[in-house]
Amino acid sequence: MGQGTPGGLNRQGNSGDRKNDGDKKEKKFEPAAPPARVGRKQRKQKGPEAAARLPTVTPHSKCRLRLLKLERIKDYLLMEEEFVANQERLKPQEEKTEEDRSKVDDLRGSPMSVGNLEELIDENHAIVSSSVGPEYYVGILSFVDKDQLEPGCAILMHNKVEKAPLESYADIGGLDAQIQEIKEAVELPLTHPELYEDIGIKPPKGVILYGEPGTGKTLLAKAVANSTSATFLRVVGSELIQKYLGDGPKLVRELFRVADDLSPSIVFIDEIDAVGTKRYDAHSGGEREIQRTMLELLNQLDGFDSRGDVKVILATNKIESLDPALLRPGRIDRKIEMTLADDVNLEEFVMTKDEFSGADIKAICTEAGLLALRERRMKVTHGDFKKAKDKVMFKKKEGVPEGLYM
Amino acid sequence: MEPEPNNTGSGSGNPKEEATLKVPSKDPKKKDDKKDEDLSEEDVALKQQLELYVERVQDVDQGLQKVALESMRNLAGEIAQEYAKRVNEEAAVKDLIELVEQIVAFHMKHNAEPEAVDLLMEVEFLDLLVKHVDSTNYKRTCLYLTSSARYLPGPDDMSVLDIAYTIYTKFEEFPSALQIALYLHNMQHWMFVWQHVKQVFTSCPDLLRKKQFCYILARQGLSFELDEEMCADDEDREALQEIINNTKLSEGYLTLARDIEVMEPKSPEDIYKAHLLDGRASAGASVDSARQNLAATFVNAFVNAGFGQDKLMTVPSEASSGGSSGNWLFKNKEHGKASAAASLGMIHIWDVDAGLAQIDKYFHSNDNHVIAGALLGVGVVNCGIKNDCDPALALLADYLDKEDSSIRIGAITGLGLAYAGTQNEQVGISFPLHCIRDKLTPILGDPKAPLDVIAFTAIALGLVYVGSCNEDVAQAIIFALMDRSESDLGEPLTRLLPLGLGLLYLGKQDSVEATAEVSKTFNEKIRKYCDMTLLSCAYAGTGNVLKVQHFLGQCAQHLEKGETFQGPAVLGIAMVAMAEELGLDMAIRSLEHLLQYGEQNIRKAVPLALGLLCISNPKVHVMDTLSRLSHDADTEVAMAAVISLGLIGAGTNNARIAGMLRNLSSYYYKEASLLFCVRIAQGFVHMGKGLLTLAPYHSERFLLSPTALAGLVVLLHACLDMKAIILGKYHYVLYFVVLAMQPRMLLTVDENLKPLSVAVRVGQAVDVVGQAGRPKTITGFQTHSTPVLLAAGDRAELATEKYIPLSPILEGFVILKENPDYREEA
Repeated sequence: MGQGTPGGLNRQGNSGDRKNDGDKKEKKFEPAAPPARVGRKQRKQKGPEAAARLPTVTPHSKCRLRLLKLERIKDYLLMEEEFVANQERLKPQEEKTEEDRSKVDDLRGSPMSVGNLEELIDENHAIVSSSVGPEYYVGILSFVDKDQLEPGCAILMHNKVEKAPLESYADIGGLDAQIQEIKEAVELPLTHPELYEDIGIKPPKGVILYGEPGTGKTLLAKAVANSTSATFLRVVGSELIQKYLGDGPKLVRELFRVADDLSPSIVFIDEIDAVGTKRYDAHSGGEREIQRTMLELLNQLDGFDSRGDVKVILATNKIESLDPALLRPGRIDRKIEMTLADDVNLEEFVMTKDEFSGADIKAICTEAGLLALRERRMKVTHGDFKKAKDKVMFKKKEGVPEGLYM
Repeated sequence: MEPEPNNTGSGSGNPKEEATLKVPSKDPKKKDDKKDEDLSEEDVALKQQLELYVERVQDVDQGLQKVALESMRNLAGEIAQEYAKRVNEEAAVKDLIELVEQIVAFHMKHNAEPEAVDLLMEVEFLDLLVKHVDSTNYKRTCLYLTSSARYLPGPDDMSVLDIAYTIYTKFEEFPSALQIALYLHNMQHWMFVWQHVKQVFTSCPDLLRKKQFCYILARQGLSFELDEEMCADDEDREALQEIINNTKLSEGYLTLARDIEVMEPKSPEDIYKAHLLDGRASAGASVDSARQNLAATFVNAFVNAGFGQDKLMTVPSEASSGGSSGNWLFKNKEHGKASAAASLGMIHIWDVDAGLAQIDKYFHSNDNHVIAGALLGVGVVNCGIKNDCDPALALLADYLDKEDSSIRIGAITGLGLAYAGTQNEQVGISFPLHCIRDKLTPILGDPKAPLDVIAFTAIALGLVYVGSCNEDVAQAIIFALMDRSESDLGEPLTRLLPLGLGLLYLGKQDSVEATAEVSKTFNEKIRKYCDMTLLSCAYAGTGNVLKVQHFLGQCAQHLEKGETFQGPAVLGIAMVAMAEELGLDMAIRSLEHLLQYGEQNIRKAVPLALGLLCISNPKVHVMDTLSRLSHDADTEVAMAAVISLGLIGAGTNNARIAGMLRNLSSYYYKEASLLFCVRIAQGFVHMGKGLLTLAPYHSERFLLSPTALAGLVVLLHACLDMKAIILGKYHYVLYFVVLAMQPRMLLTVDENLKPLSVAVRVGQAVDVVGQAGRPKTITGFQTHSTPVLLAAGDRAELATEKYIPLSPILEGFVILKENPDYREEA
C-alpha cells in the first residue's frame, strides 16, 4: 500500500503545524524530539522504570507459596538476563552508535532551570543568571555547541552535585549507636533494598538528627555524604526562605525533583527549624511564607507522589519547636538523638552546691580534657570531669589566686 | 508460662524499637490514636504472631502444647530434610510420618494451615490433610492449596488440586469443587473432568445449588448435557440445561443495561467525540470514505453489542418498515457489506430470536457479500448460546457448498463461532456435532477450494474442537497444510492453518507433541511458524516458565528478511505467561527487552502481546508503553499498538485511553489505515457501552475460558499481518472477539431466577492467601445495589446478611437464598 513514506511526510507536516499553534498537549506526539523531555514530561519518563519494578509478593509470612512465587520471579529474571546477555553479544554495530548517543543524552541529565548567558569567560566557563536569583560563574558542559553561545541567549542550567566532603565515619568519635541508626535508615535502603523487602517492611524515608549544639549532627551528615555512592544534596533551612512569594516552596519542589531525577539520592537539610517551626497564627506575610515553605516540605516528604529512592536527613537542635506533622512516622521515621560524649552526667555537676564561676567551669572542662589527653584517650569521660573538678576545687580552697590553677 | 525462644526474642525487640521511635510528644492521647493505624506491616505481622502465640499457650492439651511450642518450626524443617534424605537412601519413613501427623494436627488446630500444608508437601503426603481439616479452616487451607497449584511443577499441581477438590466435596462446598474441576479441564482429558463435574452434581441434592453450578458452567463456555443421574426430574433438568445453554444471558445483560441506564443507542460519532478535537482534524477531508464507513460499521457493532438497537443498522428498517432497509448497509463497498450485515448479529448478540428475525431479510439479497455477512451474523448471534433447535446449523449448513467463496467463508466462520467449544463427545450426544465435522473436513481436502476458504475452515474446526486434541480433525488440517503449493505457503492467510491446528491443543500441554513432530516435516517456509503456533497454543495459560524461555530464545535470533515465526513466539510468551499475576508482570518486563533489541517482526508483535496480557485491564504503565509505540516510525508497530490500546481498554470506557485514541485520530487523520485502526480501537474501548469485558480469565482470575482465549488468539494472529487481513478484505476476523465478550457484571437473582437487587460492596480484591483469621478480602470498597459492574481486579461481597449467595465468588449470575437466621435489626 506504500503508506510508509507518505505517512512519514505527513507526520512531519503535522508536527510542524502544531508547533506553530503552540499547542502543548499535542507536542508529546512528536517522534524523537529530545527537547520534549523537560519539566512535567520528565516525570512521565518514570513509566518504563515503574514497569521495571518487581511485582510484590504476597503472602508476607514465610511459607512455601511465597518461596514458589519468589522462585518464579527469579526464573523470569534469569531468562531476562540470558536474553539481554545474548542480545548484547549479537547486536549489530549501528545500534551501538545509537546507544552511545542515548548515553550522551543521559549524561546531559535534567536541566534544572532556564537562565540567561551573561558573559563568556573562557572556553569552558561563563557567567549566567537565572530568572530569579543571582548570577553564577559556571562551567560549560562538554557537549554544548559553543558556536551557538552568545551573550544574552537562553541556556539550560544544570544542577551541580556537591563534591564529597572529606570527613568520614572514622572521624567521628563515639556516636556508634547513632551511626548505626543512620546507616540503617539512609544508606542500607539505597544499597540493599532487598533486606527490607525480605522482612516485609518499608525502609524509613528519613531521619532527623537532633541534640545539643556541637554534638556532631552536621559532621555525621558529612560522613554519610562521604561514604555513600548516592547523590547527596544539601541545603540549609535558611536557604529555603526566599525574597519573593512562592519562591521558597518552589525551591523545595525543585530540590526534591532534582533528587528524584538523580535518585538514589540523599537530601540533607541542616537547621530545619528555620522553616519547620510549629504553625501558629502568622501575622506577617513573611511568616506565612515560611509556613507555606514548610507545608511544601511536608508534601514532598510524604505527599501524593511517592518518593522512591530519596532519603531525607534533617538536622536541628530544637526538635521540640518543630511542627509535629513534620516528625510523624511516614515522613520522618527515625529520630536520632545526638548525645553528649556518652556517659558524662552533666546533671551531677550542675547540681553541685559549690560556688563556681564561669571561668571555673571552663577550667574544669579544660582540665578534664587534659586528663583525657594524658591517658591518650580521644574521649572525655565522667571520671575525668570528677578528677578535674576535685582538682579545681582543691586549688580554689587552697587560696591560690584565681587564674593560677596549674 | 512456657516462653518460646523465637517469639520472646522478637517480642522484646518490639517495645525497644518503639521506644526509639517515640515522638517526644506530651499528648498521650494522640499517641494512642496513632497506635493502631500507624503500625507498619512488620508490626502488624508481629502482632498477629503474638496473638497466635497467646492462643497456643492457652491450649488445653498440656503435653502436646509444650512439645510443639518448643520445637515446632525447627522440627518441621528437620523432618523435611530427614525425609528427603531417607527417600534418597530408600529407608523407612513410617516413624517420620507419625511425627508429621502430630505436627500437622497441631498446626491445623492453631490457625497455621500454610505450615501444615508446606510440611505435608515436603514429605509428599498431602492426603493426610483431608483428615485434619475441619469446617473452620478448610476454606483457608483450600485457598492456599489452589493458589500454590499455579506455581508448582507438574504433576504436583494436579495432586494439590485433587486434595483441594476432595476437601471441598467433603465440606459440601460444591461450587468451589466445581471450579477446581473446571480448572483441571484446561489440562486434563475431558472424560476425567466430566466425572468430577458429574460427581459434584450427583452429590448435591439441592436443585437451587445445581442451578448455580449451571451458571458457573455457562460462564466457562462449555457445552454440557445433563443426564438423569445428575438431575432426576425432567422438568428440572430442562431448567438447568437452559441455564447452561446461556439462553438467559441476553436478558440479564439487558437488565444490567437498564439499571445503569445505557439503553439509548450510540452512534459512532458519539464515540469519536470529534468536537473535543481542534477543528481542522475533525473536519478533515475523508480520503477513503468506504473505509471510514466500514470503521463506523464496526464501531457501531461493538458499541451497541447486545443492546438490540443502534442508530445505523436497525433504525431505518424500524422507522419505515423495511422500505429503506439497509441504507447503511449499502454505504459499504463489496466485502464491507459482509461486515455490515454481520454487525446485525453483533448488535443482537445472545438474543437468538430477535437476531435471526433481523438478519433473515438479508438471506434473500442478490449480493453475495450481503449473504456472506448474514451467515456470519447468524454465527455471531449464536455465539456461546445453545438453542434446542440449532438454528445456526440449520441455516448455515446449506451454504457450505455454495460456489461463491465469500458465502462459503461466511457460513464456515458462522459455524465456527456458533459452535465454538462444543467439541466434547460426551455421553448421549444429542448434538449434531459429527455433522459439523463431516461437513467441514471435506472442504479442507477439496483441491478446488481456494486458500481463504481452507484457512477459515481450519479456524472454524479449531474453534469447534478447541482443546479437544481430536485426531481426525488434526489429520485433516495437517493434510491440508501439506497439500499447499509453495506459493500458497507464502500467502498471509496460510498462517491461519497452523493456528487452527494449534487451537485443537489449546492448553493441553504434552498432548501436542505427536503433532508437533509431524509439523517438523512440513515445508520449511511454514515449519517454524507452525512449531511456534502449536507450542504457544498448547501451553497457553499454564505459566510454564520453560516454554517462556524457549520462546525468548527464539526471539533472540536475528533473522533474514521474510521469516515470520517470531511473531507467534512473542504472542506465545503472552499466552503462556498470562496464567498468573506474577508471570504476567514479569512477562511485561521481558517484552520491554524485546522491544529494545528486537527487529521489526518482533516489535510489531510486542504490542499485541501486551494487549493480550492486559486485556480489558488498562494498567497505566502498559498504557504508556503502548501510547509511545502508537507513534512509532514503523507503521505496522503503530497499528498493532493502536489496536492493543483498544484491547487493554476493551469494554472499560477508560477515559485516558479514549483521550489518547482521540488525539491519535487527529494525529493520523490523513492516514487511512492507521485511522481505521484507531476507530476500531475506539470501538473496543467503548464496547457494549462499557459493560463488557474481553478477559478470558474469570471467577477471580482462577478459570480460563478456552473459547474466549481461542477467539482472542485468532484475532491477534490476524493482526500479525494487519495489511493483508484486517486492512484487506478479511476485516470480519474482528468479529472473532465475540467469543471473548462477556458482561462484566454481578447480577444477583432470587430463587426463581428473577433479578434481585441487594446491596453489595465492590472494591479492590486483596490477596488473603496464607493469612490467619478472617482478613478483609476487599479494600477501598463502595456500596452499590446489584446489578453492578466489576472492573478488572475488583471483587464484590454482599453488604447484607439477609441473603446467602450460593456461589463463593460473586461474578456473573449469582443465586441468593434467604438467610434463615437473619433477623431485622430494630
